[in-house]
Amino acid sequence: MSKQSPLHFHRMKDMPSTHLLGTGTPTCAGCGGLETLHTIYDILGEKTVFVNAAGCMTLLSVYPFTPFRGGWLYTSMASAPAGAQGVRDALDILLQKKKLSPDENVEVVVITGDGAAYGMGMSATSGAMDRNLDFIYLCYDNEGYGNTGQQYSPATPHAARTSTSRGSHGYPGYKKDLFAIWAAHNPAYVATVIAAEPLDLAKKIEKIKGMSGPRMLISLAPCPTGWDYDPQLSVEIGRLAVQTGVWPLKEYSDGEVRHTKVPKRRKPVEEYLQLQGRFRHLFEPQRDAAGIAEIQSRIDAYWERAKVG
Amino acid sequence: MFRIRFHGRGGQGMKTASRILGTAFFNAGYEVQDAPRYGAERRGAPIFAYVRADKSAINERGVIDRPDLVCVADDTLVGMPAAGVVQGMDAHTVLLINSHETAATWQQRLNTEARVLILTATEDVEDRAELPYIGSRCAAAAAALTNVIERETLVAALTEELGHLPADVITQNRDIALRAFDDMKQHAGLVTPGSMPSASDYDRPEWIEMPFDNAAISNLAIHAGATSVLVRTGLWRTMRPVINYPKCSGCAWICSTYCPDGAINVRADGYPEIDYDHCKGCLVCVAQCPPHAIESIPEHVAREQEAEASA
Repeated sequence: MSKQSPLHFHRMKDMPSTHLLGTGTPTCAGCGGLETLHTIYDILGEKTVFVNAAGCMTLLSVYPFTPFRGGWLYTSMASAPAGAQGVRDALDILLQKKKLSPDENVEVVVITGDGAAYGMGMSATSGAMDRNLDFIYLCYDNEGYGNTGQQYSPATPHAARTSTSRGSHGYPGYKKDLFAIWAAHNPAYVATVIAAEPLDLAKKIEKIKGMSGPRMLISLAPCPTGWDYDPQLSVEIGRLAVQTGVWPLKEYSDGEVRHTKVPKRRKPVEEYLQLQGRFRHLFEPQRDAAGIAEIQSRIDAYWERAKVG
Repeated sequence: MFRIRFHGRGGQGMKTASRILGTAFFNAGYEVQDAPRYGAERRGAPIFAYVRADKSAINERGVIDRPDLVCVADDTLVGMPAAGVVQGMDAHTVLLINSHETAATWQQRLNTEARVLILTATEDVEDRAELPYIGSRCAAAAAALTNVIERETLVAALTEELGHLPADVITQNRDIALRAFDDMKQHAGLVTPGSMPSASDYDRPEWIEMPFDNAAISNLAIHAGATSVLVRTGLWRTMRPVINYPKCSGCAWICSTYCPDGAINVRADGYPEIDYDHCKGCLVCVAQCPPHAIESIPEHVAREQEAEASA
């Protein structure tokens, strides 16, 4: 496969206007994860094989239906990167034996939710990065175990109500910094993305098409069902996640972290929180000023440390 | 044994309806099963939940195929084969539909021997996925029709099942449920327990004898790409986005890129086109279109307009 491809996503007009990923998938209306996946698939193209850990997205390919035009493999929740290793090795052996021509080669792409990426699949992912596996990893992060009814996961943000955090203050823990954990392995590339910023997303995908080694992506995936909001707000909420500084868009390579879209003036985080039912208890029946201030101060502290924005 | 199916769309509370009715039966001294159909329980998608209740142990399992009562929260599902509303209905079945139409109209449309009752549609909402209180109303109406559940038992079950909601929401649900219960009392006892199927009544299907094949050739291997397009997720839609082309600026990417399902493609002339076979009706395109050239209209209204136009 050619690892050279020019960067050509400069303007919104450069975004693909027809789509490769098949329609008719069983994801919820307004799914932020599917929105990311279809943009990524448009750019990566058909020469891909997806290795999918158990989660919402495993419902994409239920025999005999699939939205993909190439291969797809289902693994248990913790072992998608191990599955990817097997697929990559098999492809490499076939290439070496000349049973597969270089133009038949495919890119191996892992898709998992945050439950697998932030939690039980972390060991297999760490191992894959140790071995410098040539693959792409896409985590669609909807901040909870969405497919089973939004139980909390290590990606759940502080104060969010989940089906296992029903108390008056929501989830007491804090979202794990997966970007930092992955970057600490020094893989070829790590980035945060979001479908609501398609140009930033497209540029990053275009960039990793020309690279090899572990290329790790975490996409915040607004989830109407799990976060409790009207599906038509999916893009609006995603954009607010960036504009309020909740979801910093950044990338890591060669030991450096760069912020790729710094909000010029960060909006107050409550603009993001108040659109979502999972944070309603911060505003009703009375405003929890201290709770909101704590969330805001953690965001401010992040950007202070990052020395940008 | 009572066998009751609740049909609705994801988000209308059919699972809750089955839980309320199940708990009410249980508190009235019955053995109970209540379960939603596991599958694509997505907002707007056709779903159903079911309840079995009997005075003795229930050995039956799985989906109810011979219902005593079929309760339909959304009348647009009745004619949709994928929703399976009329499945297994016979002269013994009561069909309760939340509808503006009359029982006689439905009786005629469906040409059914089943007794049709109407749960008069009270709330008129644009988006059918947001029919308020319909789960509680269906559970209450079903309870009244069986005539074995007291008012107080229903209220206790409803309060137990909705206990996680704010007090005013529970009160609202209770009042609306009790109104449905009282309205249906005139038909109390119309739904009666169906008989237990016996092995001797079992009609042997017309088997086709097929020889065993080698697994490698008898397993259907699918090599075609993007077969998911055969699944019509457009059926989930309760609100329809409609492009007003004179207002569309032909920006050529915004609705198409943001549509989570990739159900908007750009035509050769540079204007977008919505694929209604697959659009799930999330309305992200309506919210994002810069010149507000996409409007949303209730799906049932759009269908009526289409029917009129073609008539």
